[in-house]
Amino acid sequence: MQEFSPSTLLVLVPLLPLVGAILTVLLGRQLGAKAHLPAIAGIAGAAAVAVMLLAATARDVGPAHGVHAEPVRPVEMIATLWNWATFDSAYAPPAGSPAADPHLTPQDLAAGKDIRSFSIPVALRLDPLTATMLTIITCVGLLVAIYSTGYMHDDPGYPRFFALVAMFVFSMSMLVAASNFLLVYVFWEAVGACSYLLIGFWFTKPEAARAAKKAFLVNRVGDFGLAIAVFLLWMSYGTLDFHDTISPDGVIMPGIFGQTRLADAAGYVGGILGTAICLLLLLAACGKSAQLPLHVWLPDAMEGPTPASALIHAATMVTAGIYLITRSAPLFAACPGALTIVSIVGATTALVAALIGTVQNDLKRVLAYSTISQLGYMFASLGTGTLLGFTAAIFHLLTHACFKALLFLGAGSVMHSMGGVIDMRRFGGLRRVMPITAATFLVGSAALAGVAPFAGFFSKDEILAALHAKAWPAAHGDHHAAAAADGPFQLARFAAEASHSAGSAVGLDALDRPETWQILFWMSLITAGLTAFYTFRAVFMTFTGPTRVPEGAHGHGHGHDDGHGHDSHAGHAAHAGHGGHAGNAHESYESPWTMTLPLVILAVPSALVGWLLFTTNWLSHFLSATPSLTAPAVASTATPHMFHMNLAIQGTLAAAIGIVIAAIGHLGRRSDGPQMERFLGPLQTLFANKFYFDPIYSALVVRPLEGLALVAAMFDRYVVDGIVDSIAGIPVALGGIVRRSQSGLLQRYALAGVMGVLAIVVLLAWQLRG
Amino acid sequence: MNQTMNLGSLITGSLNDTLAVSLPLFRTELCLAATIVLVLLCRMLPLLRRLDAGLVALGGVCFALWFAWNDMRGIPVGGLQDGSAGGAAIVRQELFGGLLVFDSLTAYIRLLLMGFLAVYIPFTKASGIPDHEDGADFYTLVLGATLGMCLMASANHLLMVFMAVEMASVPSYALAGLLKGRKASSEAALKYAVYGAGAAGIMLYGISLLAGLLGTCHLPSMAAELSRVVDAGSASGNVMVLALGGLMVAVGLAFKLSAVPFHFWCPDVFEGAAAEIGGFLSVASKAAAVALLLRICFGLGVPTTGHGAVAAIGANLAELGSTRHFIVAVVGLMAAVTCTLGNLAAYGQTNMKRLLAYSTIAHAGYLMMAVAAAVAMVGIDPAGSRDAVSAVAFYLGTYLFMNLGAFAIVALLRNRLRSEEIDSYAGLVRSSPGIVIATGVVLVSLIGLPPLAGFVAKFLVFSSLVQAITAGAERPLMLVLLVVGGFNTVISLFYYLRVLKVMTFDPPPADRPGGEFSLVSLPGAIVTALVVPVVVLGIFWSGLYACAQLAGAFAS
Repeated sequence: MQEFSPSTLLVLVPLLPLVGAILTVLLGRQLGAKAHLPAIAGIAGAAAVAVMLLAATARDVGPAHGVHAEPVRPVEMIATLWNWATFDSAYAPPAGSPAADPHLTPQDLAAGKDIRSFSIPVALRLDPLTATMLTIITCVGLLVAIYSTGYMHDDPGYPRFFALVAMFVFSMSMLVAASNFLLVYVFWEAVGACSYLLIGFWFTKPEAARAAKKAFLVNRVGDFGLAIAVFLLWMSYGTLDFHDTISPDGVIMPGIFGQTRLADAAGYVGGILGTAICLLLLLAACGKSAQLPLHVWLPDAMEGPTPASALIHAATMVTAGIYLITRSAPLFAACPGALTIVSIVGATTALVAALIGTVQNDLKRVLAYSTISQLGYMFASLGTGTLLGFTAAIFHLLTHACFKALLFLGAGSVMHSMGGVIDMRRFGGLRRVMPITAATFLVGSAALAGVAPFAGFFSKDEILAALHAKAWPAAHGDHHAAAAADGPFQLARFAAEASHSAGSAVGLDALDRPETWQILFWMSLITAGLTAFYTFRAVFMTFTGPTRVPEGAHGHGHGHDDGHGHDSHAGHAAHAGHGGHAGNAHESYESPWTMTLPLVILAVPSALVGWLLFTTNWLSHFLSATPSLTAPAVASTATPHMFHMNLAIQGTLAAAIGIVIAAIGHLGRRSDGPQMERFLGPLQTLFANKFYFDPIYSALVVRPLEGLALVAAMFDRYVVDGIVDSIAGIPVALGGIVRRSQSGLLQRYALAGVMGVLAIVVLLAWQLRG
Repeated sequence: MNQTMNLGSLITGSLNDTLAVSLPLFRTELCLAATIVLVLLCRMLPLLRRLDAGLVALGGVCFALWFAWNDMRGIPVGGLQDGSAGGAAIVRQELFGGLLVFDSLTAYIRLLLMGFLAVYIPFTKASGIPDHEDGADFYTLVLGATLGMCLMASANHLLMVFMAVEMASVPSYALAGLLKGRKASSEAALKYAVYGAGAAGIMLYGISLLAGLLGTCHLPSMAAELSRVVDAGSASGNVMVLALGGLMVAVGLAFKLSAVPFHFWCPDVFEGAAAEIGGFLSVASKAAAVALLLRICFGLGVPTTGHGAVAAIGANLAELGSTRHFIVAVVGLMAAVTCTLGNLAAYGQTNMKRLLAYSTIAHAGYLMMAVAAAVAMVGIDPAGSRDAVSAVAFYLGTYLFMNLGAFAIVALLRNRLRSEEIDSYAGLVRSSPGIVIATGVVLVSLIGLPPLAGFVAKFLVFSSLVQAITAGAERPLMLVLLVVGGFNTVISLFYYLRVLKVMTFDPPPADRPGGEFSLVSLPGAIVTALVVPVVVLGIFWSGLYACAQLAGAFAS
């Protein structure tokens, strides 16, 4: 068999889905009901290649050698496809910035030897982080695509859906494989565009169109942050490449995350500029990963088709923010204040979203808030800035991708069979009529709730451990962490920062103290309990109690238009005996095999992947070879791999309390009866109204902007348009005159020619005389 | 002067020149000529009559394309960036005793023309405008005209200029009347012929004036003579006659370029003739005319040190300065007026072919702007001058795809809808989204919006104008051209986008004939093959630009 080089393979991962998308667009009409074939073939090919790349990268990293005795060798491979543009003499580094070359003498500077060109290569990279992300994206994408063949089977937009899914997989794989901030930005936007189109897939439905618009606009805020961050990065480092490049005359140009700069202790800007860059990157990550205060778009995004929700708004796209911050780890490591902000944002989001999730009655919305909450966990973990924190975040990202995709697809399966109904009060006891969906959903829920030994348990435990190590550094046997918190290294870092800028962001850096981390740890632990509660509340409401099925549902139902979820039938459902009819035990509502097969496939990793990766410590060892994570500031925080029994007990206890409360309130009861949450009183109202984020934004941002927009529209209509219309009238009027000269009579043409020549002669003669 | 001419050595010398030097570099044209003979033979011999003339022509063109490609590849890349600093000598070879010249511009335009034919012949097969009976006539005329255009691109002698223009024009007149029995078509052909004959007559008169005063028709020799006559400040009466002669030659060129005020034939011919002919005239003829304009402008405006030698750059900066000023003024003025009038007249057109005719006129204006900038920068900013010629060459390369794409869409929609009126395209997006997307790409590229090829081309043209301004070459005129160009780009937006608006927003007529137009069909494949490069060249333009830079090197 022909041996392919890794760079060829790397290009194939985005290329195959792109080809699939193009073919689907071109042949969609001809293929009709088979329109999924090119897209699925493309994504399947990409998934196979991604797994091969993962294996190849793992071979390069090598096996773990007990305790991290020697520093891990960074592993990366760059494939530069072509140079998109080059601008000569575009950049001169400001004196003292990390981009400046210290070897240049003042004479050299005067001669302009430090002036660099700015080039934008289309370069893809392969390192452990990218390989992991590519595998997650393509594998989840493949399963979702297969599932969609069942879910979307008679939708008029069938080809469009698959084209978009393949396009999304292409954009997302480019986003994580790009080795240049500008490319990341391009595909950051591309992913956002795919998401917009998928949320608004049923664009004739006003809610979907509105949700798509909301997601788009809220994401703009984050994208704005990324754009500014990219500008500042270029200003500070003189390049946007991640990797080192070698200029034609043999000079190594250090990339932002290249080996040269990573080895340099003062290679990264700190202080106000560095903190600003990090906070802007965080803003971008908050937009894409739906963190406070930009989380409001994600719950509404559930208006899109459920497979799209599973793929984009649960498993993959929302992890772009996690990816961005992990990739930028060295930048953040130079700004401890910004790192702490990351954790604060994450832990707060986790808690708030979990609280909102406890009172939702829409199954997909429960899952949406749990996604926000779990992403918050990952942010909290990233913010620790330790190697354990980063690897734990990616570990949780991986397990979350498995079990959240499973839960969303399970919810979709329920919705598909219930005739588009997703309100948990309108059905119940479904475990008897949908056994496969119920069993797999239970596995996913256990993983989400952090029940040992399911996947989420281990990854959540790692995150708690990372936070715990920051909160009580002395309690951790290894003194590395303690040293990182206030050891000589920290001092050195402060000294380096002080030299970078006169005014440092000391105000923010003061946040980085054990008390802060202790609060964050407790918040995370409480969130763990809440997560278990709302997850099992949903399980009990949906799958236990007397079997009830809404009126619109049919055995092997085919009404799957999500729009039915909020129609007038909802009123009936509140009355017992009217809205639902007892399910016939002999009637099966189970979804077709194309939908249940992905559920079963996803259930396996949701159950096992956490245990496997934790006991072997494979993932964290593998990820630690990512160039960004080999930065001394990160790598020096490495701790020996261990199981934190006390944390595991605390976490399990929190989860158990949550499950027990959910069982007391909901196990075996009718889901449309009075709910226990009403005992929360005014708090319930607060949670149910999602902490009033939407009305607050509406009053503070949307209304004033609408007013401004109205004024602008008036100005545009009456002033600008008036001017434009009158100016536009000029060419039309002139055009009329010119057109009339085209009379069709040859004599007139000849006359015009002669006149024209005469005019030129006169002009020239006049000019020559004058 | 006092050489003793030996008839025998003269004959051997010219034989040697013809056989060893000229013919090998002339093989592309020879291949075309042989193809014409073959096509005609096919028609005459009963055995071969069944053979499709289009396929024969395509085969010949493929060979010609191969030769043109090899000629282009033979041009050394090294040393062209900096011809003055002792780099490799720039290829410039006079053929047939100085009648023609082979250099990088010749090679580029020839490659462009052969590439055009290689796309154009399959397109005409798909659109079915020459039926089997007409095929031989049609392809003979097309190949013959293209042969003339190749000569236009390589003419080095005013007599050759005239011959080449006529060789390209006469078949075009016949092509315009190809739709036999259609009144509009015959009228267009007649107008075209009469107008063309008039322009040719004036041009010939101008040539005879120039030749009479300068004593030669060989362009480099004329330049040397001109610098003697004009720069020496001899009798001003002679200068006036020279200017008149130059103006008359300009009339002939303006006719080929459809520049205002000699553009009148263009809308009538494009509307009356089939869309396929419009595509041929607006792309191939335009490329050749612009190349000829460059030839004459640089031939007369740049001092050379003699036969086949490279002009020494900067050495004689002032030499021929007034000639260049005259050329820049005429070309620049015509460019501004042509561009503006073309765009203005395109407003309110209801026929798609007529709209494209005015669009062609406007684009000739943009091209002439870059030519004016190139001539203006000679001797002041040689690199800028080269860049401006490269911009022209690049523009022609992208124009091939976008404009032929536009005409292909018109022709293929005509086959489907039996109409070329813009209103008949209403609501096409509902039944045939593919073709509407293709139209969108082509028209947006013609406007010159990123990320399509037209944007890059327009950007290069405008940047060469800016370069001329910064270099201080004819600054006021260049400033005017830049403003006019920008203004025209804005106003062109409206009429191009109106077509798209009709295609997408207007409700389709109830009695539309034919089904959907899918891109997955033979005609659709042709459209795709023309539209995809428009997108690709907007993103990966470095390859074509490298070739265009080679072509630009001729201006050094």
